[in-house]
Amino acid sequence: MDKHKFIQQRQPHWKQFEEFLMSIRRESFTKLPAEEISKYSQLLREVSNDLATIRSRGWGHDLTSYLNDLVARGHNLFYGAPPANLSGVFHYLAVGFPRLFRANIGYFLTACLLFFLPLGISWYVVQNNPSLATRIIPEEMMANFDLMYGEESPLNNEEEKTTDRTDEKDSFLSEESTFGDQRASMAGFYINHNVGIALQCFALGILLGVGTIYTLLFNGIFLGAVSGYIVSQGNGERFLSFVISHGSFELTAIAVAGGAGLILGDALIHPGQRTRFQSLQVRGLEAVQIAGGAAVMLVVAALIEAFWSPSGISNLVKYVVGSGLWILVFIYLGFAGRQADTIPLPVKKRERSKSSEVGFNRGQQS
Amino acid sequence: MISTITSDEMVPTSANFPQQNFTAQREVLSLEMKIETPENVVLTYQLAGPAQRYIAYIIDLAIRLAILFGAMMVINMIGIVLPGTAIGIFLVIMFLNTWGYYTISEGFFKGQSIGKHICGLRVIRDGGYPITFWPALLRNLARSADAIIFYGIGITSMLLTRRFQRLGDLVAGTVVIQERSLKLPRKPVILKKIQPLNKNDIGSFVPRDEVLSLIDEFMGRRHVLTYERGHALAGILATSLAERLKYSGDPQKVEQYPMAFLASVYQTFSLSNHQEEDEFTVSNQSRIRNREVSLG
Repeated sequence: MDKHKFIQQRQPHWKQFEEFLMSIRRESFTKLPAEEISKYSQLLREVSNDLATIRSRGWGHDLTSYLNDLVARGHNLFYGAPPANLSGVFHYLAVGFPRLFRANIGYFLTACLLFFLPLGISWYVVQNNPSLATRIIPEEMMANFDLMYGEESPLNNEEEKTTDRTDEKDSFLSEESTFGDQRASMAGFYINHNVGIALQCFALGILLGVGTIYTLLFNGIFLGAVSGYIVSQGNGERFLSFVISHGSFELTAIAVAGGAGLILGDALIHPGQRTRFQSLQVRGLEAVQIAGGAAVMLVVAALIEAFWSPSGISNLVKYVVGSGLWILVFIYLGFAGRQADTIPLPVKKRERSKSSEVGFNRGQQS
Repeated sequence: MISTITSDEMVPTSANFPQQNFTAQREVLSLEMKIETPENVVLTYQLAGPAQRYIAYIIDLAIRLAILFGAMMVINMIGIVLPGTAIGIFLVIMFLNTWGYYTISEGFFKGQSIGKHICGLRVIRDGGYPITFWPALLRNLARSADAIIFYGIGITSMLLTRRFQRLGDLVAGTVVIQERSLKLPRKPVILKKIQPLNKNDIGSFVPRDEVLSLIDEFMGRRHVLTYERGHALAGILATSLAERLKYSGDPQKVEQYPMAFLASVYQTFSLSNHQEEDEFTVSNQSRIRNREVSLG
């Protein structure tokens, strides 16, 4: 057929499809009546056919790229994912995240080892030998800790004042400000600072896991040294009652994020039957959903740390509530969405079908 | 690939060898990504290179700083009443600005941050699908690994991968493409004044459709070039075509006005081809097609 006639004849259809693409949005697309949808999906196939025809006959670059873009937009629209909604968020927090966490618990345990073991060791060493603390903690920070948890500490139950933990916060918090107001600023600080560290800890896992391991070890040693130092100065009671409540969410979430980072590293080092990049993609999508959960946990921890931990309630209550929160975290990660565990995870399923493709039993499993 | 094979059948000359070489080279150097749709059609997307993405990044950076600056102004006002809360809100905004700006914009606005929108770039999954929240989060969390040494790792990764993917793209399975605006193909150029070649002057050789399309597009764009340059370019094709056609007419025409010669070749082969026979089948087919559409 002649090129001109082909264009003349098909152009109205292209125009029609183009107008449809311009007028439609993804939200309104799902509400289109059935006849309309089948009409336009028919048009998409026709335009696809035209594209193939024109390409095989070599009828010019302009025409090909026009039809290519037309089909590409239609493809995007027809094969796009459904829009996210609020119930999806709830399902993720109630089922998706804890489930994925349990499916990859080995990485979490490794991260725990990398985080809590150095924490414990440095705590033990520094507590018995406080002079070593100077090698890890900067001087002015140590002075600051003395101030925070010492006799004059705002954490003393008699005083109705909140606290800060590092020197940089000191500057703006020492000003006269009201009680709850100051805590809100601390909440902002904890969210910005702690969640940022956890997300970075996860992301650096892409460097073969080295970044994650470094972050975990560094933070473990540093926190251990700080704890050991504060306890050795005789401020253990005030410190522990402050830390116990939010520690449940905070420390666990750091290990969760670290575990997610280790998944990325492991996907690169042990790709299995896939290429390294394929393996990174498949496992990465799982890992980021775990890291997202860790971020949510850290936001919760930040709110507890800012509004509950420094409050002037007796230490006994804090210990009881703090222990309760540890149990809560354990139950959440260990049991939430358990009934869904029997349904295979999408990633796992893909993994199995992939390996069956490579193996000999190809016919049986499909 | 298919077109190369047909050309082998039609034009068995020595010119085939370099031509095949060209196609192979085009594959390697191509800035296009090919995917196959469920309709069994190959779609191509134009990949965005590091330079374009850098410009988009700079625009986004400026916007992010502007957001922070604007937030600071508002926060200062709140800060008069509640200084602590104001600082807290500001820190949360700073957090969202650092970690959420790209994720939110790319995850919920079809893969475009504001800078990408301005530059006409878009993030898509490497299957050609729109990006969703989790891949958007993943590729932008990994940004902090890419950003090491002023994006040194990201740029290195982009240069080493065929689709210009930084680490975040690799892990999330995404690519950044250049959006093209839909352009209706121009009306084929029909030059009224140009006469077709005399049948007696040419041999039995019939140029391929591709060559005719090339002439068509060249004619359409001839105003882009200066007169001399246009003729210099046209001369290459004109001489080789004249040789193939065994053109025995006025040689002056080929050398002096190669553009006019090309146009008349186009005129000869694109329109006079079995015009009467086609008329019937085309109108018949179009009637059938029209009926199909109205039914569907």
